[in-house]
Amino acid sequence: MRKFLSTKALIGLALVLLVVGIAVLAPLFIPPERATQMVMTARLQPPSFDFLLGTDQLGRDLFARVMLGAQTSLTIAILAVGMSIVLGLPLGIISGYYGGRVDNVLMRLIDALLSFPILLLALTISAVLGPNLQNTIIAIGVAFTPFLARIVRGEALRIVQMPYVEAARSAGTRDGLMIVRHILPNVMPALIVQATISLAFAVLAEAALSFLGLGTQPPQASWGLMIQASRQFLDLAPWTALVPGTALAITILGLNLLGDVLRDVLDPRAR
Amino acid sequence: MVYIVNRLLLVVLTLFIISIVTFGITNILPGDVAMMIMGTQSNPEALEGLRESLGLNDPLIVQYGRWIGGVLTGQWGESLLFNEPIAPLISQKMLASGLIVVMTMVMALALAIPLGVWAARHRDRWQDTTSSTAALLGLSLPDFFIGIMLILLFAAYLGWLPSSGFVDPTEDFLGAVRHAFLPSLALALGLMAHLTRMTRSAMIGILNQEFIRVARAKGLPERTVVWHYALPNAIGPVMTVAGLQIGFLFGSIIVIESLFSYTGMGWLTYQALLNRDVPLIQSTVFVIAAVVMLVNLAVDLLYRVIDPRIRLG
Repeated sequence: MRKFLSTKALIGLALVLLVVGIAVLAPLFIPPERATQMVMTARLQPPSFDFLLGTDQLGRDLFARVMLGAQTSLTIAILAVGMSIVLGLPLGIISGYYGGRVDNVLMRLIDALLSFPILLLALTISAVLGPNLQNTIIAIGVAFTPFLARIVRGEALRIVQMPYVEAARSAGTRDGLMIVRHILPNVMPALIVQATISLAFAVLAEAALSFLGLGTQPPQASWGLMIQASRQFLDLAPWTALVPGTALAITILGLNLLGDVLRDVLDPRAR
Repeated sequence: MVYIVNRLLLVVLTLFIISIVTFGITNILPGDVAMMIMGTQSNPEALEGLRESLGLNDPLIVQYGRWIGGVLTGQWGESLLFNEPIAPLISQKMLASGLIVVMTMVMALALAIPLGVWAARHRDRWQDTTSSTAALLGLSLPDFFIGIMLILLFAAYLGWLPSSGFVDPTEDFLGAVRHAFLPSLALALGLMAHLTRMTRSAMIGILNQEFIRVARAKGLPERTVVWHYALPNAIGPVMTVAGLQIGFLFGSIIVIESLFSYTGMGWLTYQALLNRDVPLIQSTVFVIAAVVMLVNLAVDLLYRVIDPRIRLG
């Protein structure tokens, strides 16, 4: 198992670094016009020397589009997960640390929110606010918050019962300091694991939203949009779907692998 | 008994919060129902008149009261998009999606349980790695991408199954299953990952226990030990996870039904969202959240009935 674990860790890390590298470097090397430039004489071309991954129905270079799409995808995912942490972490900590009535009220609210499928919540928020880049981030970020708050709350609840917290309390540590010094650092491992797994799901959610036309809007390069556009030409040009689909799969697989490994390493209960 | 009463009170409270959230989200819409009915270019006075007659000028709490009162008495209003009463529309679409949900669950469990058991029996060997890899791949491929590949393979190249559309199961059951097959398979392949992992870890826990050693010592064939002794004891947590996945499924169903033009609840919700049909958005979102919550409750209660180790207390 250890051997598999380390192979798993290596593959996960390599895939994530690859995608992050592309997201950071592609915009520096590929001019944005390259992704939107239409060559009408070269529509739905299979992969060739001129177009490494072929072209789409408007004669746009799929290589440039898929590379630039990495940035869109990761930026939205990272900001959305960041937002869910900003909202969910304080909620979870307050709920778990204070317990009692506060916990009861907050958890009823969180439980009710968890009844909304994440994707439904994100789609609804995006449709209501009007689909664009910023609202996609808000939609996914808000939709993830209850889930994250729940995880943090569980951890905080566990940590509050630890002897060192009791010791600190009997030494007269105030609530604020207690949270910053003892609760927050110990919630971190679970938070990091959850954030990594959430990133995978956020990439997926962004693609799904864009696929349905309620996320990133054209002509911006987004993997979900590219898959949407490929539907009509599927039997003529299957690569138009395979290219962005593979990019998505690589990203999500990498993040999932990394999340799994981080859980094995960081999560005290899985150890 | 006290537990069940408490649980039911909690259900009412949760439904109440769900209704407030649903109503709240749809009311941050820029523009309102009146604008949607008459268009943005309409005469401001006529617009104001319509607002007044629809009660959109009332305080939000009054509007909420009217809406929830309607929901409770079965007056769900009319869809602006379809010009049809919402309640029968939703019950009809729920039936269509119900078929997909059931077929997805059956397929996912039929794939995940044998795969998980296989991995657990050959723990840390190549079978285990294969099964984990398959599970991870299922988890990493977006279901709409799986759906597109299935359309390409089974509809475009092989021509075995229809690529889109919906057939009413009460009229032509076989046709309905054929049309629901590819969407369900796309969803099941995504769903089976969690279930395979859960089956594997539950089975590993059970296979290490005393009574399994006793069964083996008695000389029972390994097949009997695994399938008749171990699996029934491991199935509880797997079923719980399967139940919890219903919520996830109702999110994915929006994408998949739209992809396959399968006119169920997911498709209806998508149309409502796309066309900003506020009354329909409110009803579909509320119904889906309520169904997810009730299914989770049912799974929880069922688990307690099946597994006597967890007492109702």
